[in-house]
Amino acid sequence: MLVVKDMAKQYGDFTALKDINLEFTNGLYGLLAPNGAGKTTLIKMLATLIAPTKGEVLYNGKNILSMDDQYRELLGYLPQQFGYYKNYSPKQYLLYLAALKGISKKEAALKIDELLEKVALSQVVNKKMKKFSGGMIQRVGIAQALLNDPKILILDEPTAGLDPKERARFRHLLSELARDRLVIISTHIVSDIESIANEIIMIKNQQILYKDSVEKICELLEGHVYETSIGYEQLGVFRKQYVLLSEKQEQGNMIVRFIHKGNPENEWRPVSPQLEDVFLYEYRDEIDGEA
Amino acid sequence: MRIFYNECKKAFTSPIFIALLLLFAAFNIFVIVNSSDHKEELKVASELVEKYGRTITDQSLRQFEQDFQVELAELKKITGREYSSVYDFLDGLNHEDHELYDENEWLFINQLQLKEMYVSMAKDIDGNYARIDFKKFAEAEIEKYGLGGAAAKTLQHEYEEFSKRFEEMKQNGEHKEWFFAGKAYFMHSLLYRSVFMHIIIEALLLMVLSTALITNYEFENRTHLVAYATTRGRSLMKDKLAASLTMATSITIFLLAVTLGTFFVVFDYSTMWGTSISSAFNWEYQYPYVSWWDLSVGTFLVGVIVVVYVVMLLFSGLTFALSTLVKNSYITFFLMSSFFVIALLIPSFMLTSSNLLFITTHNLSSLVLNPHQLFMGSSGLTMFKTFELMTIGCWTMITMLFCIFSLKRFNKKDIQ
Repeated sequence: MLVVKDMAKQYGDFTALKDINLEFTNGLYGLLAPNGAGKTTLIKMLATLIAPTKGEVLYNGKNILSMDDQYRELLGYLPQQFGYYKNYSPKQYLLYLAALKGISKKEAALKIDELLEKVALSQVVNKKMKKFSGGMIQRVGIAQALLNDPKILILDEPTAGLDPKERARFRHLLSELARDRLVIISTHIVSDIESIANEIIMIKNQQILYKDSVEKICELLEGHVYETSIGYEQLGVFRKQYVLLSEKQEQGNMIVRFIHKGNPENEWRPVSPQLEDVFLYEYRDEIDGEA
Repeated sequence: MRIFYNECKKAFTSPIFIALLLLFAAFNIFVIVNSSDHKEELKVASELVEKYGRTITDQSLRQFEQDFQVELAELKKITGREYSSVYDFLDGLNHEDHELYDENEWLFINQLQLKEMYVSMAKDIDGNYARIDFKKFAEAEIEKYGLGGAAAKTLQHEYEEFSKRFEEMKQNGEHKEWFFAGKAYFMHSLLYRSVFMHIIIEALLLMVLSTALITNYEFENRTHLVAYATTRGRSLMKDKLAASLTMATSITIFLLAVTLGTFFVVFDYSTMWGTSISSAFNWEYQYPYVSWWDLSVGTFLVGVIVVVYVVMLLFSGLTFALSTLVKNSYITFFLMSSFFVIALLIPSFMLTSSNLLFITTHNLSSLVLNPHQLFMGSSGLTMFKTFELMTIGCWTMITMLFCIFSLKRFNKKDIQ
C-alpha cells in the first residue's frame, strides 16, 4: 500500500501542494486536474524525483526515499515529457533502460520484444526513433514503464499524442494491468480515465478536492445538471446566469448543458451528471482563466 | 558493467568527438613529420653512445678525440689540405666549391662536423658547469619577478637546496652522458614543449567535451526523468563519473600512443633511454635542464606521462563535478576554460612579497602547461622540489571533495 502522508511541496514562496493525504492500493487511480494544478509535482514525488517539503510517502510503512532503489525497483514511470535518444532504436533504448532497472540483458531482450508487440511497435524495433511520430514515441514510453513489470505504475499524461484507436488500445491495456498492481494516471482528459478508473483524485487550490469513485463524484451534481434548447440570441445571457458545461448547434438552436442548483424551469431536461461535468464545474474559474 | 559501457558509448559514438580525436592525432603526426628534417643528424649522438658508452669519461673522451683526429686526417685526403677543425674547412668554402665533392664525401664531412661539435661540447662541460651558480640565478629570478620579503626568502632557500643537488650532480658526473645536442636540435623542447603541449591541450579539450557530454547527457536529451526514476536512480551519476574517468584515460592513451609512437619512430631514442635527463647536452637556453633527482630520459618520459595522465583525471573529475551543478555542456566547457586560464593568472595578482604567490602557482594549469620543466630545479617560480607532488596531492583532495559534494548535492536535489 502506498500512503501519502501530510505532504506539501513549496518552491520558495510558491506552494505547489499542501496537506496531501492519500492512500493507494491495487487498482487504477486517475489524477484529474487542469494543467498547472500540481499533478506532475505529486507524480514526481511519488517517483522520488523530487522530495516533499513536508510530510512523506510510505510504501508498506516505509519511507520511499529511505527505501531508495528498493522502491524504484517496484516502480514504472512515464513522465509527461518522455525523452529519448534520437539515434537509438526502441530496442537499444529499452535495453539501456533495462540495464538501469537492473534487468539482465537476456531477460530484457525477451521482455522488450513482448512489450513492443503489446504497444504495436514490433515492426520498427530496430528503426531509429528520430523518425518516429509523437504517438510512436509515447508508446515506447509506455513500453519502458512496463519493462520491470512494476508493482506501481505511474503515468503522467500518457495519452498525449495518441490517436483515438491507440487511446482505446491503451485503456484496454491499463485495465488489464490494474488488476494486480497499482496504476496512477495523471491526466486532464476526462475520457481517458472515466471508464476505467477505480477512483478519481481531483486537486484544487493545491489540495485534494475529491478522492472517490466516478459514480460517487458524479453524485455530487445529481439533480443539478440540465440540458435545454435556446436561441442563439439567448446564449450570452444564459452564460452569465448558469455554469455552462457544453453547447452544440441543433436545428437552428443551441442545445446547452448546464448546472443549476435552484428550481429548474419546465422546459429544462434533467440529465445524469458525468465526470466531465464535475470537472468543468469545479475548475470553471481556472478553465475560464485559461480561455 | 552494461550501464558503464552505455555511458562510455555516449561519448565515443559522438561524431564530433570522433572527428576531433582523429583530427588531433593527424595534426600531431603532421607536426612531428614536419619537424623531422634533422632526424638523420641525431644518429651521430646514438653512434657515440654505441661506440664510447653512455657515460663520458676522461678515457672515452680521449678515445673519441683520437678517433676524431683520424677522421680529420681523412678530410685531408678528400680536400688535399690539412685542417685543425672541420669549421675551418667549411668557413673557407665558396658556393661553387660545393660541387667539388660528391654526396658520400659531403655526408662524411657533415658527420665529422657534428662529431667535432660533440667533442667540443663534451670538453666544455666542466668549464661551463663551473660557471653556473644557482644562487646567483636565484637572485636574478628574484629581481626578474620583483620578489621581496617572505617570497624572496623562500625562493632563495629553495635555490640553496637546489645548489646542493647541482654540486652533488657535478660530483657524481650524472650530467656527463651523451644526448642529442640541445642547442642544435632542441629535442627536449620539441618533445615536451611542442609535442606534449599539443597532446595536453587536445586531451584537455576532448576530455572536457566527453565528461560534460556524459554527465549532462540525460538533461540535454530530456531523458533525466526516466533515467533517474529507474532502480539505479541518482547512482547513475557514479557510473557517469567512472565512464568520464575511463574516457579521459582512453583519450590520453590514444593521443599519447599515436603521437609518441610516431615521434619515436621518426626520432630514434633507442640508445638514449638510459641517459640522464640532466645531461649537459640537454642544454637549450641560458641554463641546462637539471632535475631534482637522477632521472633517465626514459624515467623522465614516464614521469611526465604519469603527471599528464593524473592531471587529465583530475580535470575530468572537476569537469564532472561542475557539470552536475550547471547541467549544461556549453556552460561547463566555458567555465572549465575560464578556470584553466584564471588558475594561470591568479599568481600574477598575488603580492610579490608573500608566500601566497608560490601557493597559487601550485595549480593544475601551471603544472600541465610546462611539461618540459617537470621535476626540474631550473624552472623559475615552479622550481620547488615538491611542486608536482604537492600540486597533484592538493588538487586530488580538492577534486575528490568537489566530486563528493556535487554527488551528495545531486542526490538531494529535485530533478525537474
